[in-house]
Amino acid sequence: MIEVSGLSKRYGAVQALNNVSFSVGKGQIVGFLGANGAGKTTTMDIMCGCIGADAGTATIAGYDITEQPLEVKRRLGYLPDVAPLHPEMRIEEFVTYAGRLHKIPGTELQRRVSETLEKLSLGAVRRRLIGNLSKGYRQRVALAQAIVHNPDVLVLDEPTEGLDPNQIVQIRELIRSLAGHHTIILSSHILSEVQNTCDHLIIVHNGTVVQTGSYEDLTRAMKSGRTYRLKVARNGAAAVSDLADLAAAEHPRLVDAAEHELEFSLASGIDEAVLDNVARRMIDGGFGLRELAVKTKSLEEVFFQLTQ
Amino acid sequence: MGAVLTIAWRDIKANFASPKGSAIFFLFLLLMGLFFYNFLNTFVEMTQKAPMYGGEAPTLEQLLKALFYNLHFILILVIPALTMSTFSEERRNQTIRLLQVSPITPTQIVFGKFLAVVGVLALVLVCSAVYPLFIKAYGNPDVAVILTSYAGVFLLMCAQLAFGLWVSSMTTNQFMAFLFTMFGLFLLLVLNWIAPSISSTGGWWAGTLKYLASTDHLDMFLKGVLTVSDTVYFLCFGALFLFFTNVVLDSQRWR
Repeated sequence: MIEVSGLSKRYGAVQALNNVSFSVGKGQIVGFLGANGAGKTTTMDIMCGCIGADAGTATIAGYDITEQPLEVKRRLGYLPDVAPLHPEMRIEEFVTYAGRLHKIPGTELQRRVSETLEKLSLGAVRRRLIGNLSKGYRQRVALAQAIVHNPDVLVLDEPTEGLDPNQIVQIRELIRSLAGHHTIILSSHILSEVQNTCDHLIIVHNGTVVQTGSYEDLTRAMKSGRTYRLKVARNGAAAVSDLADLAAAEHPRLVDAAEHELEFSLASGIDEAVLDNVARRMIDGGFGLRELAVKTKSLEEVFFQLTQ
Repeated sequence: MGAVLTIAWRDIKANFASPKGSAIFFLFLLLMGLFFYNFLNTFVEMTQKAPMYGGEAPTLEQLLKALFYNLHFILILVIPALTMSTFSEERRNQTIRLLQVSPITPTQIVFGKFLAVVGVLALVLVCSAVYPLFIKAYGNPDVAVILTSYAGVFLLMCAQLAFGLWVSSMTTNQFMAFLFTMFGLFLLLVLNWIAPSISSTGGWWAGTLKYLASTDHLDMFLKGVLTVSDTVYFLCFGALFLFFTNVVLDSQRWR
């Protein structure tokens, strides 16, 4: 549905994007992840035809954004990082305006606007002035503007930026509810957000794509291999030195002395059968095995590792 | 056409949702009223004194001409105030993104914005008719002169608005847009006065500068004469700057 290949963009001396390529399949929710200044907004602006690229192409629903911008924009909803709202307009009036700009036929317009407002729980406040709304409501109005014409592709640039935790959960649920009908690409630097919302991740750093894949793919691909958590009944410090003798278990360390909690990792390529040895050593050594579990890497750790 | 009207209608409403639209109405009509009061006093005074000195009394057409001629000065203040925000404010607030990602062309955006500012000022012009109507109620002026004068002022206004849009499209700073538009319009107004001093020998250079000045082209309209060359001047002037605005807007797609 979205095909981006070889995008490059330079702002003066700063290389904002360098040969960015990725593709997004129909109906997917894709997280576009990167630190501030990594090139997320620039990529999205180029995809939506707001700015041009120095090199490369962006194709949406089979149409090239530079060759057939109007065809692309008919199928596209964009929520920019700064919500494009007119404070002097009322919510319903604004969404109707956005619908008209997207050429929704007059007979259908009223129905589409009502549906969109209901979907975003804006029905009760439809007559309120946008200038008087809270940040969460503003963000919803901006989202309404992006989906009123029922686009195939939704591009959301940091949709939960600056919202409180309750509002973040609401917007996240909203985005999830839109899945299936729309192909969604959403950018964020809040990792937990994309981890919970997206099927697929694209991590950008300094204007280049450093990793793509599902969250599981990414954690699996990390160089340091799998990490395990081990909890024993007594004598944790001695357990660490005992584990150090076992060549397959790398970097054993005591995480919590009071709780006798340890951590170690297995180098990639080592079979998990080694865990039997670990368990046997703990029992035979009289440490008392209480817990042995895979410690999943948080997305933060993956992210830091990729963008260092 | 639908998108053009949608944009124009929203902009007109936005102008009157803020105090800006009302302030422009107030400023324009107040200044025109001051001029009108002043000229009318002079007119009455001269009419009374003319027989005493054996001269000819001024005509109502001369009064009208003075009034319309001075609209030029009012427009220099009002037009930058109206056009300064058209693009610069949208770009600063990022609301321009809404237009950029809609399936509409830059040309439609330019025409929509242009139609909006023309619409606001056309409303002001209609209201300003109260002064000529006042003269009509108490005197017997040539209605055709009033109509051609209005046609001239309207064309001048459209050309100036196009210039203002172009300046506004190039900056995100409204104050700069205001300043440069006012400076540009003032330069066009005084060009035929300063043309002789720029080129003391006269010739084609002074002639060209004089042709570019907007003042001379308005003169014929105020005399009640509609000429093709003056109409073409205003239309070309307006079209040129609308085209420039379009280029600025379109260039943002590939810059």
